[in-house]
Amino acid sequence: MTANEVLDLLKGVFLTTGLSHLSFKLLVMWAVGAFFIYLAIAKRYEPLLLLPIGFGIFIVNFPLVPLMGWSHGHGELLRIFYHYGLEWEVIPCIIFLGLGAMTDFGPLIANPKTLLVGAGAQLGVFVTFTGTVLAGFTLKEAASVSIIGGADGPTTIYLTQHLAPQLLGPNALAAYSYMAMVPLIQPAIMRLLTNDKERKIKMKQLRPVSKQEKIIFPLVTAGIIALLVPSVTPLMGMFMFGNLMRESGVVGRLTETAQESLMNTVTIFLGISVGATMHADNFLSWKPLFIFGLGLLDFAVCTVGGILTVKLMNIFLKEKINPLIGSAGVSAVPMAARVSQLMGQKYDKTNYLLMHAMGPNLAGVIGSAAAAGMFIAMFD
Amino acid sequence: MRILITTMIWILVSAASQCPAVEKFLEAPIFPNAQVLKQTDSKLVLKTQEGFSEVLAFYKKSLSDMKDIKFRDWGHAIYIEDDGNRPWHSITIAKPSQSSGNGVVITIRKDSWTWIFSTLLLRYVGVFVVLVVILICMSISGTLLSKKFKASQQ
Repeated sequence: MTANEVLDLLKGVFLTTGLSHLSFKLLVMWAVGAFFIYLAIAKRYEPLLLLPIGFGIFIVNFPLVPLMGWSHGHGELLRIFYHYGLEWEVIPCIIFLGLGAMTDFGPLIANPKTLLVGAGAQLGVFVTFTGTVLAGFTLKEAASVSIIGGADGPTTIYLTQHLAPQLLGPNALAAYSYMAMVPLIQPAIMRLLTNDKERKIKMKQLRPVSKQEKIIFPLVTAGIIALLVPSVTPLMGMFMFGNLMRESGVVGRLTETAQESLMNTVTIFLGISVGATMHADNFLSWKPLFIFGLGLLDFAVCTVGGILTVKLMNIFLKEKINPLIGSAGVSAVPMAARVSQLMGQKYDKTNYLLMHAMGPNLAGVIGSAAAAGMFIAMFD
Repeated sequence: MRILITTMIWILVSAASQCPAVEKFLEAPIFPNAQVLKQTDSKLVLKTQEGFSEVLAFYKKSLSDMKDIKFRDWGHAIYIEDDGNRPWHSITIAKPSQSSGNGVVITIRKDSWTWIFSTLLLRYVGVFVVLVVILICMSISGTLLSKKFKASQQ
């Protein structure tokens, strides 16, 4: 063999490696993926989601990797997860099944008027919609971006996949990142909108909730959602089914599976599929950065909406509600409720708001699903 | 052979250039030869004696390349909505009726913040309605079951 032939051979081998196709954009995406992995591991921000998402971003941004494409007539590995899990909208519903199996709706059933707080906290969703349209997004994109403020990952993914699948990656990332930052975002807003007297309001202990009520609740709620907002029945139906399994007390094995192994399995597929949608070609534009900025505003306005709803309700109520639990209407369960508890204790160490705040926290899940249903109905 | 091909290309190009470009209002196609009944900056109302299905076919063809277009059948009209960010918001093709003199009336409306704000407000209120209904049902069931629980304890 001549020297030229050897060089050609080596060049041919070199061209089959990713090294020959590297670009600056890919390096930027490695940094983005690494950043989210850092947030998950070092800061413990939503590690169950941010770690797989961060890794998905990292691994899919290498040249020539057969992960999100099509070959030999079928999808590659991550494409299959994405197609069957997210494009078919299966994963968000199964996540909600697991969440329902983990949730105790007792605080909400004991004080059902906190449902209004969950509704009020969706204010940011509708306000952000306007801002997003002004920024040049289409109406469907605006709807999918604004639901981020509902602080509900599966609902965000469900709605985005339905209306604007091209924004799935940035929307999911923004939703989960800000959910983890609730303790950083909310306290200042809570202090701004409440005075000392309001922060020290002590609420009556919640009444005990019977098992029958806890069984009837998921059935009634699923029925009402199916009648009034049928488009989110897959999501809320699974949520209520999981809860019914838990409260029935007769299918312990199924409940345990839904809470643990099923939930964990689906979370892995969700995270890595969402991360895999964020290739440099899709992600590096003004839209994802704008979504991150808007997501923060969205969260803030939702917090404002929840607190103001409580203050409005207090005008009509004899037994006042502590407005600090209004911020828990942002459905980052149970983080937002914990923030209410911590804030309340700052001003009165004997004031235990956690269980009271769980009511609006859970109401926010139903509220954000209802808001998503309203948006789907707008475009269907 | 070369002359034949060149002549055919010339004929095709000439024919294509003779086809009139579709007129537009706010980037929405206007049905050809329709009579203008009313025109403002934000609304155009046209009437044509062509059949309803011809008008509908024209709009389906003209809008076929556009994304985020939704056709809704309202019974008395076909409502075409733009869910993107085009200058026009909707095209309503009213089915012929006695009041319209058996012609087809086409209304093109500009994208307006009034529509966006009103639909958002309606939907925000809708979220409250859903949750109020759940609240009412829970309050009723809670009251009934609490009474039953107290009665059984006594």
